[in-house]
Amino acid sequence: MKITGYRTETYSFRLDRAIGDCNYPGGVDGMGGGFLWIETDEGISGVAPMAGDVEPLFRLIEGQDPREVIGLWRRMVDEVHKSGLALAAGAISAIDIALWDLKAKIAGEPLWRTFGSVEGRARAYASGIDYNLGDEELFAFYDGMAERGVDGGKLKIGLDQEADIRRIGIMHEALSKASDRPHLCIDVNEYWSPKQTIRYMAEIEKHHDITWIEEPARRWDHEGLKLVSQQVKAAVASGENLRTIGEFYPLVQHQAVDILSISAVQAGFTGCRQIAHLGHAYELPVSMMNCQANFMAHLAAALPNHVSMEVVEPGREHCIRFDSHIEDGFIVLGDAAGLGIEVDEDKLAQLQANPPVLTGPFPFPRREGAGLYVKGFQPGEVNWR
Amino acid sequence: MKITGVKTTLYLYNLGWCMGDANSPAGRTRGCGCVVELETDAGLTGIGLGGGGVRPQISALVEGVLKGQDPRSAQGLWQRMANKHFKGGHDGLINDAIAVLDMAVWDLKAKANEEPLWKTLGGSKDRIHCYASGIEIPLSDELMHAWYSRMATQYGLRGGKLKVGLDQDADLRRIGLMRDALMQADDNPMLLIDANEYWSPKQAIRKVREIEEEFDLTWVEEPARRWDFLGLRRIKDSVRTAVCAGENLDTLGDFLPYFHHHSADIVQVSCGMGGITPALQLADAAFGYELPVTLGNSPGLIHAHLATVMPNFMTMEVCNVEPPDGVFTTDVTVVDGWAIPGDKPGLGIEIDVDALEKQAIERVPPGAGPSPFGRRPGAGLYEIPPTEEEKAAAAKGMEA
Repeated sequence: MKITGYRTETYSFRLDRAIGDCNYPGGVDGMGGGFLWIETDEGISGVAPMAGDVEPLFRLIEGQDPREVIGLWRRMVDEVHKSGLALAAGAISAIDIALWDLKAKIAGEPLWRTFGSVEGRARAYASGIDYNLGDEELFAFYDGMAERGVDGGKLKIGLDQEADIRRIGIMHEALSKASDRPHLCIDVNEYWSPKQTIRYMAEIEKHHDITWIEEPARRWDHEGLKLVSQQVKAAVASGENLRTIGEFYPLVQHQAVDILSISAVQAGFTGCRQIAHLGHAYELPVSMMNCQANFMAHLAAALPNHVSMEVVEPGREHCIRFDSHIEDGFIVLGDAAGLGIEVDEDKLAQLQANPPVLTGPFPFPRREGAGLYVKGFQPGEVNWR
Repeated sequence: MKITGVKTTLYLYNLGWCMGDANSPAGRTRGCGCVVELETDAGLTGIGLGGGGVRPQISALVEGVLKGQDPRSAQGLWQRMANKHFKGGHDGLINDAIAVLDMAVWDLKAKANEEPLWKTLGGSKDRIHCYASGIEIPLSDELMHAWYSRMATQYGLRGGKLKVGLDQDADLRRIGLMRDALMQADDNPMLLIDANEYWSPKQAIRKVREIEEEFDLTWVEEPARRWDFLGLRRIKDSVRTAVCAGENLDTLGDFLPYFHHHSADIVQVSCGMGGITPALQLADAAFGYELPVTLGNSPGLIHAHLATVMPNFMTMEVCNVEPPDGVFTTDVTVVDGWAIPGDKPGLGIEIDVDALEKQAIERVPPGAGPSPFGRRPGAGLYEIPPTEEEKAAAAKGMEA
């Protein structure tokens, strides 16, 4: 089987509900999406629910057997050696994901099986990306997840300590439906300096037992992350914005983090699995980031050190059908071949023909005061205050 | 597809020459192999090679874990086998059993797709760099020179690894002989030495420094005990040559001190350690640490399949290009110094049923195991050169 062509489509869509963190607490109500299809001479095509600038890389994979996905990943990575992987990471990830989809389809099996999972399911935690949600909406979100057995949650915090402590309590109460001691996580998205984190966490940990705090310092600040990990009871999770295993090296060597956040959108399935294996050697759990249709659960299901995967469900699946659902706290993957994702071309064309006008800051800028001082909520910035 | 049962067959074969290292200079001429056949309801049989000493453990793992499972879930099945032996640890004997079963499971996974293992793993059909390894301490100077000459001229191998450690003057002389033989393939052959944990760190530093005055060595292998991460680190910091270590570690966790303390420059990986599954994990972890990996010798050179998916793969050990025992064939070939994995489904290993039946035995006879003489006296303290009795035994072995 040979790769013969590709197609990319981009579109924008409105979310079923807006999402926000401390960098943009007012939230965004939509986002851009994309698809990459890789076509073969035998009529099967692989799909990735993300696009990217594939054109300059395509000659490296054209005519090749898609089953050789890791060999092709190496070709692409070697090709962009001088400029570094970061510039091309999006396109390489998209190609890598589509090739893994193809590889599983050729074998006639779901991708979780290709990766070697026995059960085809990955443990989930609920993540509201919810700084824009009021107390009642917040409760409703985590309550809905708890209804499906999800016993962990992650709240966006960082701008108002009193409100944050109250809202963690709301998440706790909602998730109590699934567990007497739900896993409570918080996420400050690199808004605090290490010492700000340590001060805030000292107060939060008086009120709540926190499982992990995510991105409590800059993504590259291994000394700051380590300082935080040494001074708080909660585990420190970080890494979702890193794209290569090399970027994880200082975090691992300096024991800067307790949990590695990984994402196939950043590193492809191939790179993502390498990072997970590095974590495994260091007895570090990994946590898979959220994504459209939870498609990255296929890899998470096969990783020996995967703790739980972020599930947001803000409504991003307007033009895809997918073969997974959440049950008893797990993302349960189906038996459809590959990723189990089908693109509804009619709906995609409709979205492209009528692009929604989106509100919110794009592409997710950093908030004033980050790492220096907390710029609290501005009047009217969120509707729940 | 479901796993239904397993069959193991032990067999005896001639090694082809008298093999030995610093721990066994008298050498041995016979080896023991084991064919593990993992059966399925789909008519496919997964082949594993090894595990001759752990046949009861193999049967127990198949009964207790693998039976009824789909072999395509290779990673998860490895984890289940390891988890089952959590309390006692999945190292030692049980590790050998898990390793050979994991090999057979991956063979099935690839056969289910009717493709070679390298493709199942996701590799491209690369040429795989390799080096000659004679395990040749018992051989006379003439015979070892002839052995490396054959590897250089017949297969184009441009690197060689010499067993050293008992007699510094002999080692210096023989490195030169190996170099001379390999120069038939390359003007500047890759020279490796292997002390098989016979030295203490400071012995290693003295010996290697002296050797470095005369030769440019690419690596010194196992120059201290396998667990001595500080000793290995000390050697690494004191010699120009790269320190290569790890072949006797069992699990990924065993490597953690190496990584954390930067003890080795090159990490040894083998599917014989714990299976193909953890070998892939180990290579990825080393990749994160910017460490090259080297693959050890393997039956039928099946490690060539694994090398295709290791971005930090450096070179692979070759003791035999053709399997010496007549019991199985491989479709991995070595041409012009490079191993090329074949296109037959799975591992590409095929069993000669008649030969296997003819050579089958019930028990491993004395002297045919992998390390029949154990660790040599003096190890880590002082060197004891081969005795007259050992030289006589080696000479007798060479005749045979």
